[in-house]
Amino acid sequence: MNITSLIQEQGLAMTRRHFFSKGSNALGFAALTNLLGNKAQGAPSTDSSAMNPFPSKAKNVIYLHMVGGPPQMDLFDYKPKMQDWYDKDLPDSVRKGQRLTTMTSGQARFPIAPSKYKFSQHGPSGMWFTELLPYKAKMAGDLCFMRSMNTEAINHEPAITYMQTGNQQTGKPCLGAWASYGLGSMNQNLPAFVVMVAKPSNTEQVQAISARLWQAGYLPGEYAAVPFRTSGDPILYLNNPPGVPTQIRRRTLDGINQLNQMTLNQVGDPETLTRIQQYEMAFKMQTSVPELTDMARESENTFKLYGEAARKPGTFANTTLLARRLVERGVRFVQIYHNNWDTHGNVAGRLPDQCRDVDQACYGLIQDLKNRGMLDSTLVIWGGEFGRTIYSQGGLSKTNYGRDHHPRCFTMWMAGGGTRPGSVYGETDDFSYNIVKDPVHIRDFHATILQLMGFDHEKFTVRYQGLDQKLTGVEHARVIKELMA
Amino acid sequence: MLLKNISSLTMLVLVATVVQGAEKLKYNRDIRPILSENCFACHGPDSAARKADLRLDRREDAIKFGAIVAGSAEKSPIIERIYSSEKGKVMPPPKAHKVLTAIQKEKLKQWVLEGAEYELHWSFIAAKKPTMPQNKNASWAKNPIDRFILAELEKKGLAPAPEADRRTLARRLSLDLNGLPPEPSVVEAFVADTRPDAYEKLVDQFLQSSSWGEHRGRIWLDAARYADSHGIHFDNFREMWSYRDWVINAFNNNMPFGQFTIEQLAGDLLPNATLEQKIASGFNRCNITTNEGGAISEEYLVLYTRDRTETVAQVWLGLTAGCAVCHDHKFDPFSTKDFYSMAAFFNNTTQGAMDGNIKDTPPIIAVPNLNDKARWEEVTKALAIVRTQVENRKKEAKGDYDKWLATASKDTFSNRTPTEGLVVSATLKEGKGDKLEFIINKEKKMVDAPEIAWVKGQTEEKVLQVAKAGSVTIPEIGDFEKDQAFSFGAWVLTPRQAFGPLFARMDDTAKHRGWDLWFENGKVGAHIVSSWPENAIKVMSKATFNQNVWTHVFVTYNGSGKADGVKIYVNGIAQATEALSNNLTGSIRTNVPFRLGSRHSKESLQKATFHDLKIYNRSLKPEEVAALGPVEKLVQILAKEQAKRTPEENNQLFDWWLSNMDAKSKDLTTQLGNLDREEKELKGKGTIAHIMVEKPEPSMAYILNRGDYDKRKDKVAAATPEVLHSMPKDTQRNRLGFSQWLLMPENPLTYRVTVNRFWQEVFGNGLVRSSGDFGITGDTPSHPELLDYLALEFREQGGDIKKFFKLMVTSATYMQSAVSTPEKLEKDPANRLLSRGSRYRMDAEMIRDYALASSGILTKKIGGPSVKPYQPEGVWEAVAMIGSNTRDYKPDTGENLYRKSMYTFWKRSAPPASMEILNAPNRETCTVKRERTNTPLQALVTLNDPQFVEAARFLAERSLKESGGTPDSQLDFITMRILSRKLNPSEKALVLSERSDLLEYYAKNMEEAKKLQTFGAHKSDPKLNLAELSAWTMTINSLMNLDEVLCR
Repeated sequence: MNITSLIQEQGLAMTRRHFFSKGSNALGFAALTNLLGNKAQGAPSTDSSAMNPFPSKAKNVIYLHMVGGPPQMDLFDYKPKMQDWYDKDLPDSVRKGQRLTTMTSGQARFPIAPSKYKFSQHGPSGMWFTELLPYKAKMAGDLCFMRSMNTEAINHEPAITYMQTGNQQTGKPCLGAWASYGLGSMNQNLPAFVVMVAKPSNTEQVQAISARLWQAGYLPGEYAAVPFRTSGDPILYLNNPPGVPTQIRRRTLDGINQLNQMTLNQVGDPETLTRIQQYEMAFKMQTSVPELTDMARESENTFKLYGEAARKPGTFANTTLLARRLVERGVRFVQIYHNNWDTHGNVAGRLPDQCRDVDQACYGLIQDLKNRGMLDSTLVIWGGEFGRTIYSQGGLSKTNYGRDHHPRCFTMWMAGGGTRPGSVYGETDDFSYNIVKDPVHIRDFHATILQLMGFDHEKFTVRYQGLDQKLTGVEHARVIKELMA
Repeated sequence: MLLKNISSLTMLVLVATVVQGAEKLKYNRDIRPILSENCFACHGPDSAARKADLRLDRREDAIKFGAIVAGSAEKSPIIERIYSSEKGKVMPPPKAHKVLTAIQKEKLKQWVLEGAEYELHWSFIAAKKPTMPQNKNASWAKNPIDRFILAELEKKGLAPAPEADRRTLARRLSLDLNGLPPEPSVVEAFVADTRPDAYEKLVDQFLQSSSWGEHRGRIWLDAARYADSHGIHFDNFREMWSYRDWVINAFNNNMPFGQFTIEQLAGDLLPNATLEQKIASGFNRCNITTNEGGAISEEYLVLYTRDRTETVAQVWLGLTAGCAVCHDHKFDPFSTKDFYSMAAFFNNTTQGAMDGNIKDTPPIIAVPNLNDKARWEEVTKALAIVRTQVENRKKEAKGDYDKWLATASKDTFSNRTPTEGLVVSATLKEGKGDKLEFIINKEKKMVDAPEIAWVKGQTEEKVLQVAKAGSVTIPEIGDFEKDQAFSFGAWVLTPRQAFGPLFARMDDTAKHRGWDLWFENGKVGAHIVSSWPENAIKVMSKATFNQNVWTHVFVTYNGSGKADGVKIYVNGIAQATEALSNNLTGSIRTNVPFRLGSRHSKESLQKATFHDLKIYNRSLKPEEVAALGPVEKLVQILAKEQAKRTPEENNQLFDWWLSNMDAKSKDLTTQLGNLDREEKELKGKGTIAHIMVEKPEPSMAYILNRGDYDKRKDKVAAATPEVLHSMPKDTQRNRLGFSQWLLMPENPLTYRVTVNRFWQEVFGNGLVRSSGDFGITGDTPSHPELLDYLALEFREQGGDIKKFFKLMVTSATYMQSAVSTPEKLEKDPANRLLSRGSRYRMDAEMIRDYALASSGILTKKIGGPSVKPYQPEGVWEAVAMIGSNTRDYKPDTGENLYRKSMYTFWKRSAPPASMEILNAPNRETCTVKRERTNTPLQALVTLNDPQFVEAARFLAERSLKESGGTPDSQLDFITMRILSRKLNPSEKALVLSERSDLLEYYAKNMEEAKKLQTFGAHKSDPKLNLAELSAWTMTINSLMNLDEVLCR
């Protein structure tokens, strides 16, 4: 047997080629490493048989992260009693020695700023909605609210990292990486995990984000997200250089492959075979990605649904529409970041812009998924890295105020993917300061999402530095059944 | 299915072997992996996680507990429990999700029968000189390395691969030692060299090249987590490259490894530390830092110390100490106490928690240009001398001063107030009504001031207090442009420390255009703004003042558009300042009026009180500023009776006399000023270094509960981990003592870990594959005796790094051809036994440098500030905060586009895009081994990145100009540069056919050819045939993407 056919037969080339694993392989990399006994340094191994015992509802995830921390009491966590507390001090019995950021820890007083917005009840659960989110209110029956999210982090960097990776320090794999690692890709020509950074229309208080938020940590690098960009090439270096049309690229690739085949025959390195395959894959991406990002064929109705902003590249509405197209084509996990929610001051000046950016777009996305029969298998998540304080940071008036970071409670919502529609979980006190019922810690949230995808968070582990590492870390995490349909 | 069958078959065979027990089981080889995987999590070193108070990692504990009775399987509960089928009894318990296999159970049983003997983990036992193995094939070995390698191959019945041909060897050596492909002339000379030591000569040649230090250094910088930005939040620029250049020089000077270690970990603590040694201490300043508003300092100081500790543990000890941050290490005998005791060594620096978003976060030192170094040293010495003279003069001058004081009068000070360029002056102490008198361009003007109050001043009966924001507005004041010099200030007081403008001409509703004088919690500052924050200057005093005391504040600006053109004076004394923004290019003129106590909007400093406001249309000199407010005060002091003057007031008078009336002091001050200026100039031309500075107190740290900064437990002194050899009594308990301890012959890890990493650098993988984890959960060495031999050899040769690499690359093992065989793929699939030459895809930087070097466009320049080559637009912008100075990526021009990739500006939150795709780390934390994946995104980089296409164009051009006229000779020229060889006839046929297809296309599509030849910075020679040039460009683009090129 010659060496090339040996390599092909043994499938040794498979060991490294898991960027786009085969559609039939629902376990992605996990199963491959086990089969091939790959124990290279740093390369994790996992107990594949144990890790997805549950029937998965969510085959795909679209995670909309609101960078900066939306003010829950101005959006969803209605606190009418606060109207009587205007400019009164937050009682110590409520604050309970809570650590504050150094932006307000020096403040002489903590005067309460009741929400200036009107609220009304919608949907089967009677959920309260701010007047700023009329479209969300319209689809109250689709949403599953968690009003009792909580975290320990009080500043953006550690808090976003915590929300995305289950740990405040950098270096751990993010949720999307875990998902693509576990689920694999359903489309050979597209990555399993895509990230997009939407451009907010108001940029007064944009916060830093970082490529580390979508990295794979100790998982193999190919489970990191591939960023889809809103200007230039949608994927870095996707387009041929000027003056190189497709047929010329094809001709050069043929040249490369012929010579690589000779090298393979002569040297017998399985990696050479992998490279030949990857160059072919790159070529396929060059045609499939432009088709994907070309919205010209979307109907007028689509733009009516998502709003006119969806036509403009880079807007939040545009990225949500693109997210639907990605999921439609088999991408497992789409992460979207929308910035400028960090309202330390001027809530009145910014919050309406923020809500306008996302309100109709979220509605459009969820209705669109529903109309296409995709909502049951697509989990949509919306939320920030923490909440905001009921007391005002800086100047307070009836019409305007600021709010500092608040980790003890905040509101997120989910839709589809096996979540319980039209439901509300968790309660906070009259100050939207402490949770009084059914807390959902970030770990619980992660455990629940994994379960929706079919994974037992206790068993979905990889071996790294001698430990069975998992998204939910070492402390207790609870799968919250009440959030599930 | 096939694989499954094989593995169950193997299992049966193994069980049989174990039961028959031909060879006695070894704890490290056979037993520890089973216990570590299945038992230690609950019955291991971690005291917090331990169940039933049973430890199985230590023999005496396991026996004392009664879990193991050595020699008796029946009496040992551990064996009974693992074989139990009862749910509540079986170990590991079902909820642990661990299941022992039949073989594992048998092994444990047999081991207990054999006496349950334990061994210390191999890497904690000091290396022993191994006996040289005997080889059946006695002629193959070129040096001791080969005898160890061959012995293992022979055990498996494998023969080494034949020696690679000379071209392959030249290319491999050049890549491994210099990180670049060899010049064709070097390859040809080597091929033709018939001397017996031709190969060795070539090795020496590469070791002498300055690329050696760059290549080794580039790899070291991953471990050192070197980058050009702070990492967290704003992720602003950090001027750190002097450390990077130190690393390159250290390798090029072949600094012994011991010195290399000590200077980086403790260069600042060496007696009479040199500038270079202090720069070296920057190793511990490469950690990521934050300046996020709201961050709690203690939390970040703890994180920084943790990072330094983990980095040092990983790089020198090969230990993943990070686990012990929260709990005793579950597998390695490394307790939380060990971790924090070791952390104490790195917890004693003066570095603050907030990086200030500045490029030079203290502690830093100035580093002059190489050319200025001699003069720099002279100036530094002269400065010290003159400063002493100034002090001496102060002591001597008392007599002269007293004489003067006896005769001094109010008139002595009169007429010293500068009047040239005085465009606005207002005493603001008239004390009545709601009109203020301003003298504007020498004309008196009464200004309406509806909401003011008159309050008592420091000596004045009444001074102005602005009661309501925006009530005093004067449109004709302060309309300056950014390139105009101007100065402004007044006596001021505010009731409490606060943020806010004292006075301003600024439109804060339109991106803050204009300028202001500003208080920020006791700091004095000024903004000069075109559009905030991206186009503006902001300068703040470093010192804090009490705003509740009358203070004369004054700002001068020289119209340069630069932050260093702004000086801040408090009570006449120039202040050390910080430039928080320094990028002013646009106009600062605005139509809004000048306002007292506020900006254009309602934002105000409450109850700001003023007198003696002055504005000049030029930049006042320091002595002129000193003559403004302070002189007035001196007059008041002088008016007091001598006995009633406070010591501070006496000093003020004396200082004024020294600097204005005493000729000797004035002369010295001039000298000092000149030297200061020269020093600043030299500083300005040079760079800085981030260094370590030790606090005076002993190194201490707190054990933290679960690693939380606010959950302190016991305080611990600096100490090395208990499982390792102890620190000698007379060694200092600081970083210096620690680094000496690392290098002691008793240390079982440092040298093993280091030689293993070096091995990885040329063979692609270490003898221990987990090069960052030599602990119990790490891999075991493929050739343990060889590892020990190399560690001892390296240490005994004085840590001579070049010599060590020479040893590796002159081995027959290294020189093998990479060609595999079916037999080797079966028996040694991952080449752990080195049955053939190693072959692997190059690192990201090498791939780019290869393209630049082989085309000849590479800039060969060592060191200096980092550069910005091509990068797709928006990569930085997508993640950066507005106002971050690493938000807009502006590519450089000229030679900086073609520097080696190690000089590319490394922004941590968005590393160089093409390199990140090729597995370059983000440099946030220490990386001792990169991943090496093979993905389509990587193919897109090397096919389409303009950098690669431009390199191809450049080489195409050269081939047409330099290689004679035929396609055949042109192709030879090209492949000699790209592959260090000519193609064989069948390869040539393929490539030439590709070229002619491409030529046909471009000849018909000249527009496309033009597009291909005109993008990027390099302009193609217009005399060349465009179609031919384009055909070659794309042919070279193909060749540069060959597996043979991408792999070393």
